[in-house]
Amino acid sequence: MKDDFKDLLELSDFYILSQQYDEAIKILKKAEKLSKVDPKIYYNLGIAYEALNEVSEARDSFRLALKLDPELKSAQEHLDRLIEE
Amino acid sequence: MKQFVVIGLGRFGSSIARALSEMNFEVLAIDKNETLVKSMENVVSQAVVLDATDEKSLKELGIKEFDTAIVSMGETIEDSIMITLTLKELGVKQVIVKAQNDLHSRILKKVGADRIVIPEREMAEKLAQSLASPKIFDFIEVSDTYGIVEMVVPKRFANKTLTELQLRDKYGVSVIAIKRKIPYSKPDGSTDFKDEVIIGPGGADDTISGDVLILLGRSDDLDKIKKL
Repeated sequence: MKDDFKDLLELSDFYILSQQYDEAIKILKKAEKLSKVDPKIYYNLGIAYEALNEVSEARDSFRLALKLDPELKSAQEHLDRLIEE
Repeated sequence: MKQFVVIGLGRFGSSIARALSEMNFEVLAIDKNETLVKSMENVVSQAVVLDATDEKSLKELGIKEFDTAIVSMGETIEDSIMITLTLKELGVKQVIVKAQNDLHSRILKKVGADRIVIPEREMAEKLAQSLASPKIFDFIEVSDTYGIVEMVVPKRFANKTLTELQLRDKYGVSVIAIKRKIPYSKPDGSTDFKDEVIIGPGGADDTISGDVLILLGRSDDLDKIKKL
């Protein structure tokens, strides 16, 4: 199961890098079903949603990533950018 | 370089003085409240305690040398009307005044204001528009009939070339730029992206989900496409 989870995360990186954000989201939702404790799922979800301009989902995802890892600087940077003044 | 004078250093006045200063313009900030003036001393070129309703003081300050005056008097409508009138009489080219309501705005127009702003209303209209169409980021009026709109590419437009989309033929709008997020892998293995702008894209350029199209067209045509 651990390997499956890792593979899914790697696959999501691949889909993000090839700009197939909808596919990345599908894969990450699958990964989430296996484990909900890895902040990378939510960070990648945030990236994919932000790339699609689904701002509210992106914000929620980065918040979840930060809940799991408050030190995740890049998630904080994205979140700050997405909260408009 | 353009020179600005900001009269009234409440929230609006101090914000605009700060913003102009950050753009490296010369800004003279005026208020009769010493504390407000002190808080702007290190922000603008010059900050002066002065009662701007006093025509003589304004004259002595050489106010007519300024290109633009921004009047932002929060307390009394009468003061902003008086100051606007004085500034125009003294020969300031452009006087921009913050109004509190429509009546105030109408009087300001009569006494010579060049531009009137009602910030709360403008902000509220912008917010309402962004809530009504969350995929529309910005709208700029180019003229009475033409505008530029910034919108997220509708799902059914994604992964097609501009030639295939036929936006000019079908909707009467032109794509003047595409804003895109380009993903990359960071040294730590995580992914991120940087923004790219394709200016004047050609027919062979395609769109990707999440792209933001910057469209130029007639306002009514843009309204139609905004609803997609």
